[in-house]
Amino acid sequence: MSKIITIGVILAAVLGGVALVTLYQADKARSELPVLGTVGPFTLTDQFGEPFTDADLTDKLSVVEFFFTGCRGPCPIMNGHFADLYRAFAETDRVQFVSITVDPEADSTARLADYAARFGVSDRRWVFLTGPLDSIVRISETYFMLAADDLPGNHSTRFALVDGRHRIRAYYSGTDAASVDVLRTHLRELLDDLP
Amino acid sequence: MKSLWRMALVSTIATYVLIFIGGLVRVSGAGLGCPDWPKCFGRWMPPTDVSQLPPDIDPSRFNFTLAWIEYTNRLSGVIVGLLIAATAVLALVRARRTPGILWPAVAAGLLTALQGWQGRAVITSELAPLVVTVHTVLALVIVSLLIWAAAGAYRQVHPREAGEGLAAWAQRRLLLLWGLAIVQVMLGTRVREGLEAMREDHPAWSAAKAIMAIGAVSHLHMALGIVVAAVTWWTGRGLLRAPGGSAPAVRQAAVAAMVLVGLQILSGLTFIFWDIPPVVQVFHLWIASLYIGTLLLALAAARQPGPVPAGEMRG
Repeated sequence: MSKIITIGVILAAVLGGVALVTLYQADKARSELPVLGTVGPFTLTDQFGEPFTDADLTDKLSVVEFFFTGCRGPCPIMNGHFADLYRAFAETDRVQFVSITVDPEADSTARLADYAARFGVSDRRWVFLTGPLDSIVRISETYFMLAADDLPGNHSTRFALVDGRHRIRAYYSGTDAASVDVLRTHLRELLDDLP
Repeated sequence: MKSLWRMALVSTIATYVLIFIGGLVRVSGAGLGCPDWPKCFGRWMPPTDVSQLPPDIDPSRFNFTLAWIEYTNRLSGVIVGLLIAATAVLALVRARRTPGILWPAVAAGLLTALQGWQGRAVITSELAPLVVTVHTVLALVIVSLLIWAAAGAYRQVHPREAGEGLAAWAQRRLLLLWGLAIVQVMLGTRVREGLEAMREDHPAWSAAKAIMAIGAVSHLHMALGIVVAAVTWWTGRGLLRAPGGSAPAVRQAAVAAMVLVGLQILSGLTFIFWDIPPVVQVFHLWIASLYIGTLLLALAAARQPGPVPAGEMRG
């Protein structure tokens, strides 16, 4: 009997070791995203009239998009996906959604606040930012490497995932549900790695 | 008959290792590491780089580690399939007039072929809950048949070690526990699926919170687990204290079942208090499969060997 117990314990230890290594590697493989760039300093204003700077990205996962409230094409689809994710991650304030208008002339903070209300946004987990157009173009093109020609109509429809150290980790199609599902998985994986 | 007993034993152990690997694939999230079947990204060996992917496959679906975890499961499945097929063939040659060995071995072989084909459905259905549950239960039925065949062959080789037979109450209770354990595994797979759906909708929830929110299936799984544990300990105690004593193999199987069911309760508790550690998830399913095996072992160990038909030599 003692021989059987010894063999059982050794077998369980070996299999446990194999399982631990495999699970660690699988976990690492899923959350291992390249660093595609870094978001530099900026200051914009959110829908509450409060300043929002690059410091607000620290120690949080941020999903960033470019849009404008008058957009009738892809923006409602993109923000529908943002709204789904905003609700899905309601239990944590370590995931935030950042929508930057590319039509700051029309999109005042008051208009952004109205627009936010339409998506049921009630806190700062989803911010709608406005500011000088040249700053927004610089943020889009220099930091996020997303074309910002012929604005507001020709803005990018991609979502960018930024980690807690301001590093851009991945891009997703903001109009494609399957791509947004991948984003959701990445958020869940990276959330576990946040300090 | 000795070679058949050894072959059936090796097949049983290999099947248990495969069940462990299958659980590992599920828990590591590598189930769709290869999105096609039987090939992996259109190749017989998984790609090692994105550049090797066929043009019609979305590169974001490729993950080298997950592909190899899933592919290891498939390769192991082929090896175990061949071992079980060899056991069935050996039973046809060596035990063709011993139905208690022949039929379980042949049925295991046929079900293994079905399991291989069903593995395709698991992938093409993109891990549809019902299909995954069938895959898991089929594996448990196959290993049960192998244990039955192996125990039968062992009894033929070592007739003196056969027990005096189990009391009717013990046989009924062991069969009941076997059935309940299979139901428990089915419920467990549903809990796991519910957990995945819950974490999809509420990614920031802790796993413990999600498991409590699943509802009836989860509560039923916990309640039935306690019932199975209680009946196991009650039955085990009865077998260990039976007047005249039970056969040594029955006693050992009873102790093993009692220990395993205790481990199941402990691992279940870690799910609630330690946020469902992934490695414990793997062992939770595996221990359940071992438990099912020990129940059959207790049943089989007490059976009389019966006469050896002419031409089927012992030893």
